[in-house]
Amino acid sequence: MHAHLPLMIWFSPGFPVGAFAYSHGLEWACETSEITGAASLGDWLADLIDHGSGRNDALFLIAAYQAADDPARLAGVAALARALAGSSERRLETCMQGDAFLTAIASAWPCAPVTAWHAAREEEAQAQGEEPEATPYPVAVGIASAGHGLPLPAVVEAYLAGFIGNLVSAAIRLGAVGQTDGQRIIAGLLPGLPERAAALIAAHDETGLDENLGGCAFASDLGAIRHETQYTRLFRS
Amino acid sequence: MLMTRPPPSPRLPRMIRADGGVRLAISADPRRGGVPMRIAESGGYRVRFPRGRICEGVFINTGGGMTGGDRLALDVSLDAGAAATLTTQAAEKIYRSDRDDTEITVALDLAPGAALAWLPQEQILFNEARLRRRFEVDMAADARLILLESTIFGRTAMGETVTNGRFRDSWRVRRAGRLIFAEEVRLEDSIAQTLARGTVAGGAHAFATCLIVAPDAEARLEEARTYLADAPCPCGVSALDGYLVARFLGHDAQALRGALIRFVEAMRAHAMPRSWMI
Repeated sequence: MHAHLPLMIWFSPGFPVGAFAYSHGLEWACETSEITGAASLGDWLADLIDHGSGRNDALFLIAAYQAADDPARLAGVAALARALAGSSERRLETCMQGDAFLTAIASAWPCAPVTAWHAAREEEAQAQGEEPEATPYPVAVGIASAGHGLPLPAVVEAYLAGFIGNLVSAAIRLGAVGQTDGQRIIAGLLPGLPERAAALIAAHDETGLDENLGGCAFASDLGAIRHETQYTRLFRS
Repeated sequence: MLMTRPPPSPRLPRMIRADGGVRLAISADPRRGGVPMRIAESGGYRVRFPRGRICEGVFINTGGGMTGGDRLALDVSLDAGAAATLTTQAAEKIYRSDRDDTEITVALDLAPGAALAWLPQEQILFNEARLRRRFEVDMAADARLILLESTIFGRTAMGETVTNGRFRDSWRVRRAGRLIFAEEVRLEDSIAQTLARGTVAGGAHAFATCLIVAPDAEARLEEARTYLADAPCPCGVSALDGYLVARFLGHDAQALRGALIRFVEAMRAHAMPRSWMI
């Protein structure tokens, strides 16, 4: 099997993580006319990749991939990814998708790091007498792709492409753009991903996760919060 | 206040840059809630506790601002059952740096039953400021914390804009040893251009976060929403994992300040520290 083949499935809309249910605050941005069409949607997505959760997610994926054989280090990465999802729907979005992703991988695409990670979480949960903590989505992806020996740059690119594709699909369902404009936005953003993925991997190798995290998508973060009280909603975030 | 900027060049040698801070331990007190037990001050940073009914500490930077290479460490611990409010005498001004970051590190340690209101005034970043800040909070499961931090890029009322610079801010909040909240802000290079973007701040040049960690914090979400309902600036509040967080953006520093005062006073059922009102 070609090394990239699983990625085409894992980040397709058919993979059972429920991605269709989350808009990452886009629903609020459409409601308030922050996003009114192709240009503003393209800008919004580019900013998430450069200044927001897309960039942080890529770093968490990279850190988890590098730590896939070390459940103790993974636990630290997962805890930070959870804590950085700092509003209830953002937390829900990353935790629900991450757990669903791991469940699908464990049952259909098993690999040693995922099995070890499940065991470590169960053990920790039993020791504390609580339910195991959820695994954030990019962390789950990092563990599984390391376990399958997939090349890290391709995984980061595919993850970000999936992120963009899912949000464009949400914007189409919200009526912010049409199908054709949606594809144009995706086609416009994809060529920039390899360079970004490579830069984030290099930065992570050089100075580690903590130093490289960080963003400033304040309005997007605020939109994710305001969505909690939006009157009519199609999406869970 | 008359504003004097340090000359852009030559750069001051590192040894005469301010490097200091305040270490502070507060114990429980039956009358005032808390009493400062140990205070260690260095490098031009001071803390004063004006007489009053409550334990309220005011940090003072006798240097009147910070620049590249300056380092400030605030290290505060509250013993079991201690209650205190901490604020600053004035807004902290972060001036331009030719190269080095200005570094601020804050460590807060809250023992069981302790209650801390961390309510500094705004920090103002001037053009080409470079600020690296870190917050480390460790608190017991039943401790109570309200933490307000606001950042303003340039005093627009005085015609100042921040076109370039760097602000890198990291927060870690642990409750009973478990990481519950983290914040990572990275705003660098063309700051004005970045802030203008719709996803970032839509042209706002100030932002603030109010974090409340307490056993009843999550249960107060609906109440907290009502205090933001008529706010004159973009804001919102969410609650999860034992905390409540309100986030604000400000196009107008005064409007933002008003919204923050209203929110914090309502949540605490207590007036802001006196230094906020001068």
